[in-house]
Amino acid sequence: MPRIVRDATVAWRGSLSRGSGVATAGSGAFELPIDLPSRIADKPGKTSPEELLAAAHAGCYATSLAGEIARGGGTVESLDVKCTVTLDEVGDKGHLIVSSELDVRARADGVDAAGLERAVQAADAGCTFSSLIRASASVSVRAELESN
Amino acid sequence: MAAERRASVTWKGDLMSGSGTIDEVGSGAFAPLDVSWPARSEEASGGKTSPEELIAAAHASCFSMALAHALAQAGNAPERLQTSAAVTFVPGTGITKIALSVRGTVPGLDADGFRVAAEDAKKNCPVSQALAGVPDVTVDAALE
Repeated sequence: MPRIVRDATVAWRGSLSRGSGVATAGSGAFELPIDLPSRIADKPGKTSPEELLAAAHAGCYATSLAGEIARGGGTVESLDVKCTVTLDEVGDKGHLIVSSELDVRARADGVDAAGLERAVQAADAGCTFSSLIRASASVSVRAELESN
Repeated sequence: MAAERRASVTWKGDLMSGSGTIDEVGSGAFAPLDVSWPARSEEASGGKTSPEELIAAAHASCFSMALAHALAQAGNAPERLQTSAAVTFVPGTGITKIALSVRGTVPGLDADGFRVAAEDAKKNCPVSQALAGVPDVTVDAALE
C-alpha cells in the first residue's frame, strides 16, 4: 500500500486573542483565514480547527460508507453527511473536543434499513477519523434512507 | 461554553469511481471543495483536498493558536509563527504519523525556550488531544 502524505501550512501573526492566521492546503484546494473569535464565537465568519475537523470527518465517513454500502450489494446514488464537532471546556483539562456527531441521509438502491444500519456501523469502524477522535470525544451516527 | 462547528458533504456513487463535495460549512468560510478517493489515496492529489489534508490544516491551526497563547502568557508574544503539518495516511491502516514543523519570530525568547513551548503546545492543544491515538506525532521547532 502506498504511504500518502498530505500537508497544510499555517502562517500566524501576533498573540492568540488579537492575532490571526492563514491556513493553506498543500494541494492548493484552499487558503483560509483563521482566528480565535471564529473558533469560539456564536457566528463565525472564518473557519476554525473544529470546522476543518468536521469537514474531515464528514469526508472520511462519506467515503467509508460509500464503500460499505457497495460491499453489502447496494448502489449509492447519493449520501448527505453532516458533521457537528463540539469544543467544550472540561473541568481542569481546559478545552477539549468532546463530540463529533454525524447525520446521514442516504439514497441507495438494493439496501434496506437493516442493511443501511450494518453499513453505518461498519463505516464507523472503518473510518480512521472515527477511531482516532474517540481518544477524547464521543462519536455518534444517525442515518436514514431516503426513498428515490 | 461549548462551540459547535458544522460541515456537510454530499457523496455520489461508489467509493472508487464516485466523488464527493464538501458543500457547506457553518461559517461559510469555504465550500464547495471536491473530495475523492483517488485524491485521498494516490500520491498526487490532483488539486483536490482530502480528510487528511483537512486534518493537517486543523492540527496546524490549533497548534499555532495554542503556541501563540502560551508564548504571550509567558510575556513573549510571537510576531510570526509558520506551522506545517504533514499527515501520513496508509490506506487500510489509517493515519500513522503527523509531523508538525514550526518556524517562529519571537522577540525575547531563546531557541530552547521556543522548543519547550512547542512541545507543550503539541501535547496540549485540543486537536492533539483528540488525535492522541495517532502513533507518531512529532514537532520540529526553530526560531527564524
